[in-house]
Amino acid sequence: MAIFMGNQVAVIVGTTTISTFVSSVALNREVEAVEITSMTNTSRNYIGGLEASSLSLELFNDFDGATSVNALFENALGTKLNIKLIPVTGTVTASNPSYSMSCYIGSWQPISATPDSPSTASVTFPVTALLKSTSA
Amino acid sequence: MSMVPSNVRNGLKTNLTTITGLRCFDIIPDSVPLPAAVVGQLDLVFDTSMARGLDTAEIEILLIVGRMSERAGQNKLDGYLAGSGSSSIKAAIEADKTLGGACSTLRVTTATAGTITNAGADMLAYRYQVEVIG
Repeated sequence: MAIFMGNQVAVIVGTTTISTFVSSVALNREVEAVEITSMTNTSRNYIGGLEASSLSLELFNDFDGATSVNALFENALGTKLNIKLIPVTGTVTASNPSYSMSCYIGSWQPISATPDSPSTASVTFPVTALLKSTSA
Repeated sequence: MSMVPSNVRNGLKTNLTTITGLRCFDIIPDSVPLPAAVVGQLDLVFDTSMARGLDTAEIEILLIVGRMSERAGQNKLDGYLAGSGSSSIKAAIEADKTLGGACSTLRVTTATAGTITNAGADMLAYRYQVEVIG
């Protein structure tokens, strides 16, 4: 797969696909830098520490049913949810890898509204485990 | 959901038909009996959400009331322009925001004054903009 448009990302929460409620998604991978500068170094020196990635979502909110967007996240508040992302909805391959993660749902916006637009939720969750896979 | 334009226009026409005395069209007629509302075409913006979930459309609805010189026309227009009430265009359209399942939601965003020439005469008219998501 070459470059691709970002309009087909699959977002799966547990077993529920919520892609059609997602207007923006960003998985930010980050590893903390642990400083190991010693007396012999002429510049600061680092090694990789713990991964501290995060997942940001812009969602159209929905209260309709037990697997609605709001129910999925609000019911999980204070716990973790398994979330899976696939760059292009469809088969997971080496050129279309999946990212499976456990996210701590520490915050949620059941109400975020203005009179001139649909109700949305803008959230960022810390990722506590992340696995990249090239096969389903 | 992916909107079917004809279903959206039909749904808007159906909602507008609840206003007593207002003739409603979802195609542009050759001649217009007054007062009338004509549902226009959709201006679409695709990919509001991922995986072909939602698109956004802007639709213009043309409300033509009567000759500019008629007081009755102005009086009718006041009722149509109101934000609520049995003659309110906004209230009628937003009474069923899914248009019977043709879209996810909608909102009447603006109503702009203007005139239109019908059968050689200048008519009081308003252009309504409706934002449809679905």
